[in-house]
Amino acid sequence: MGGVTRRWWLLASFGAPLAWGLAPQVVRVRLDGDDLRVTPVQFHFLTGKSLEKLKDGFSMVFLAQLSASGELNEPAMKRAVDRFIVSYDIWEEKFAVTQTGNERAKAVNLSAPAAEAWCLDHLALGIAGLAADKPFWIRLELRAEDPRDQAVVVGESGLNLTRLIEVFSNPARAQQMRWEAVAGPMRLTDLKRERRSSRSG
Amino acid sequence: MKFGLISLLISGISLWGGNQQPLLQPIEYNVNSRYTVESIDVSPEIESRISRGLKHDLQILIGQKLNPTALNDLARRMRDELKVRTVSQKLLRGTAPEHVRVVMEVAHKRGEFDLSVPRLLYNSSQGWTGGVDATAVMGNHAITAGLLSNNEDLAERYTGVRARYEDRRLGNDRLRFQFDFASYHDQWSPTASANPAGGSLGLYRSRQSFEPVATVALNKELSFSFGAGFQRFDPELRSAHTQSANAAITALRYQGRFEGWGADQQELEAGYSLRAGTKFLNSDLAYVRHRWMLRYSFTKGRQTVSDQFIAGLATGQAPLFERYVLGTGTMLRGWDKDDLDPRGGSRMVYNSLEYRYSVVDVFYETGAIWDSGQDLGIHHSVGVGLRKNSFLIAMAFPVKGGRATPVFLVGLNY
Repeated sequence: MGGVTRRWWLLASFGAPLAWGLAPQVVRVRLDGDDLRVTPVQFHFLTGKSLEKLKDGFSMVFLAQLSASGELNEPAMKRAVDRFIVSYDIWEEKFAVTQTGNERAKAVNLSAPAAEAWCLDHLALGIAGLAADKPFWIRLELRAEDPRDQAVVVGESGLNLTRLIEVFSNPARAQQMRWEAVAGPMRLTDLKRERRSSRSG
Repeated sequence: MKFGLISLLISGISLWGGNQQPLLQPIEYNVNSRYTVESIDVSPEIESRISRGLKHDLQILIGQKLNPTALNDLARRMRDELKVRTVSQKLLRGTAPEHVRVVMEVAHKRGEFDLSVPRLLYNSSQGWTGGVDATAVMGNHAITAGLLSNNEDLAERYTGVRARYEDRRLGNDRLRFQFDFASYHDQWSPTASANPAGGSLGLYRSRQSFEPVATVALNKELSFSFGAGFQRFDPELRSAHTQSANAAITALRYQGRFEGWGADQQELEAGYSLRAGTKFLNSDLAYVRHRWMLRYSFTKGRQTVSDQFIAGLATGQAPLFERYVLGTGTMLRGWDKDDLDPRGGSRMVYNSLEYRYSVVDVFYETGAIWDSGQDLGIHHSVGVGLRKNSFLIAMAFPVKGGRATPVFLVGLNY
């Protein structure tokens, strides 16, 4: 395989989900300090049923996992998981998002795309352990939390990350809403390092 | 045994108190939690079918900041009580700024089948009362069949089968129709068998009833029912002929809620029902049975004070199943109905004053049951218990001279 250019992996980002027969959800991967983060290019989870439920005034919980693997079908080498609670202000007609994982942050008065971007922006995968010149794939998975999962992943002391990883190791339930995007292959050396951003919340 | 029951009650209080989820706990994650609940809208059809406890808990949320967890819990209880698959919720903007309206709707599926236990009670002086129902719902039509053994509502224990057809929307949302059929075998306590009352009327060993009734919702608070009840019963004396007690039925029911300042809630419920056995309906027995009911409750936060008054009067040749009883698991708790009037009375007054803080229930009840020409003997009882959703556990004590044995009650949907 020749040099993996940014154009190549961007193209692959568009192509891979189609090849997998999934909805064409597309994200862009970027290097932010010592973390990999994703930006939604064409990735929407505040649509359809989930948006309908939010506009009825009730919150929705989304479980998110960002993982890196050497090959498409290989187990993940590294992963980051988090849990986001989204609600829709029926008076202001804006979204509010709360991150409930290791990091706790909150944002209000967001549009739907901004709320989606905020969630993804707060999901960071550390690059420690990833070889700079070795290609890898990035997979983003989001699931609407099933009440049965809630009992497992949220304990008295807060979010249990180990349990959350176990949730993602099992297939989603039949009725469970889920979204997925894959990007790659890419190498760290091909990713332009962005200046570490300061996040609100 | 008595001390065991008291210990169980006390340990129940401590355990329950410890595990209880605060109903009004603020949920910071839903941005709408900062808004105040202006109203909770449920259709009159739903409202008339949910328990008083559930209505009370819905009312508590009005005037409070939105609590989605509590609403989810109530929707789940509503689903269980109505025996439907889904109760959906929706928030709408209120009429005032920063206020929201909650709309709760039942999503009827094209076809549903459900098994349920509509009532279950253990009364340490009278034993078990319980039943199981199977309901099939198709659109607005519901068919229920069930088995029942009841030693609470009448002087005798009656055991048998019952069935109901219900059209929940006869032409329009305001009109409902139901047809009840029941066939019971009746068992009398030795005290009732030995104490003739009610004139020449005797005991019966079995009875069947057919009861078509239509209900019109005159408005959100007021409904009117009318119909007929056809009852046929076989006297215990096998040589006697089957008798019929066919009656015209009417009932008027009012239920209103009033919001006070802040989180105060008041509820007023009143009802009157009349059953008139008449030769016009080919009845062997001519009688009139009146029943009045008035209930008022005041809720502030987690505290509720309520008072319920019920009076009944039966004149003419009312059969024993149309007579009144006190000393059950719901009326004049603590007394034994066999001690008060083993075959029921034709006149009855009853009052229950109840104070509830969260799940803890304290009550004082008083009542009298008698027949024409008898002296009015007023009886009192007090009790304490725990009520959580549809579950009740209580200890009731009759107030009387000498040795008073407490009655232990535990049940569902009482």
